[in-house]
Amino acid sequence: MSGALSIARRGAVMLGLPAVLIAAWWIASAGSDSFYFPPLATILQTFVTLWLTPQAIPNVLPSLSRFAVGYFAAAALGIAIGIPVGSSRNLRSTIEPVLEFLRAIPPPVLIPVLILFAGIGDEMKILVIVFGCVWPVLLNTVAGVRALDEVLEDVVRCYRISPLARLWHFVLPGASPQIFTGLRQSLSLGVILMVVSEMFAASNGIGFALVQYQRTFAIPEMWSGIILLGLIGIALSLIFRAVEAWLLAWYHGLRRTQRAG
Amino acid sequence: MLEVKKLRKVYDGGSRTVEAIRDVNFKVSQGELVCIVGPSGAGKTTLLKCIAGLLAPTSGGVILEGNAVNGPPPAMAVVFQEYGRSLFPWMTVHDNVALPLKQKKMPAERREQLVRDALAAVDLANVHGAYPWQLSGGMQQRVAIARAVAYEPHVLLMDEPFAAVDAQTRADLEDLIRALWRKLKVTVLFVTHDIDESVYLGQRVLIMSHAPTVIMEDVTIDLPGERTQLETRSLPCFGELRKHIYSQIQLAKQGWRPPGG
Repeated sequence: MSGALSIARRGAVMLGLPAVLIAAWWIASAGSDSFYFPPLATILQTFVTLWLTPQAIPNVLPSLSRFAVGYFAAAALGIAIGIPVGSSRNLRSTIEPVLEFLRAIPPPVLIPVLILFAGIGDEMKILVIVFGCVWPVLLNTVAGVRALDEVLEDVVRCYRISPLARLWHFVLPGASPQIFTGLRQSLSLGVILMVVSEMFAASNGIGFALVQYQRTFAIPEMWSGIILLGLIGIALSLIFRAVEAWLLAWYHGLRRTQRAG
Repeated sequence: MLEVKKLRKVYDGGSRTVEAIRDVNFKVSQGELVCIVGPSGAGKTTLLKCIAGLLAPTSGGVILEGNAVNGPPPAMAVVFQEYGRSLFPWMTVHDNVALPLKQKKMPAERREQLVRDALAAVDLANVHGAYPWQLSGGMQQRVAIARAVAYEPHVLLMDEPFAAVDAQTRADLEDLIRALWRKLKVTVLFVTHDIDESVYLGQRVLIMSHAPTVIMEDVTIDLPGERTQLETRSLPCFGELRKHIYSQIQLAKQGWRPPGG
């Protein structure tokens, strides 16, 4: 009873401010005859016809699939490079300056370069997402591997755990809390790069659609696309949190007992 | 069965070298329970890590069942002091005990039998599915003991395993070790800083000097095989042995060394 009540209360608190803001926007823009700031009612109407019907698929699907491929490739690459780099001090000191340099390059500036040899197709957009998303995962994996517990390391050696089992049962789970920190940072970065890469040169995608609407002065459509991107961001973050809560259940439990003790 | 011969360990920290162990020699016979006791800073953990093959000695060495120890030997299991850090927090109790056995490539049936028996032997038959951090400190250390027992080692090394648990749990765990040792006929080398514990547990007690470490004395504990916390500890000869070892440790703390050490 009190559990259900507290969930309801938390829900009310969480949704309270958004509700107020939407109401404020609605009232302030109602009856607006400004060309650039149409009434929210108009925007939402456009949103429904534009993005909640099958005609959304040709733009939404390519965007999301490029995002998914780029994000997961970056995750795999970041973890695969991060583990050896985190494990070896020599490797770290050799490639750290290079990593720092590459990380400092803002990924969107690569778009003109990538267009030259990867074209303006999916490959270019995926490469941009990978290049942006790989760094948080890579650097957090390195930190996670470096912070592995040395007592557990002794346990692994003393019980003669094979290298493969060591990776699967010790290194990956041990570094996973920090890997997830990196993955979370990359998530929002990935959405940004997905849109930006489509704004440059594309024939479909949400970013492409946004630019088209802007150029043709389809203002309600443009606003509705921005709302869509915000909602996609929220949805991705909710999915991410659910996966993290499931895979890191042990970590959150451990932290809770440590705080209580 | 286990022989430590002219073992010397010098830590080389570049400009500064620290001689932790100077010359340690002793033998342990099959099925013996030997305690090593020394003042803090005597290099107890260093010695144990050298014996476990986790640390390479500077010179001299360890011979287990006729073979020189160059890395963790398959016939050896270690129980570490830091129970909170020596179990994998992302694995259940069952999986923690089973993981080393999976490396041994035995039939799954036999592995499950060993896990069940080991957890039953430490009185934890009902927590297979729990995570280590859900258990008390004493229970966690029992899981670590079960993992070592299930591994079917010929030698069980214990590095101050009860230093971090409360006094009553400690007494129970001491009795558990005596009981397991008698039942499994395993050779046990038990490192501790607690003089009472060393007398209560051991058939022999090796007294370590202050670093650079040598063995000051090899004391035979001629207490009866059946020991109980209440009776054994109130025996006159228990008091004598305790007093003798205590005075030796005091000498060690003051820097006294046996001739030639």
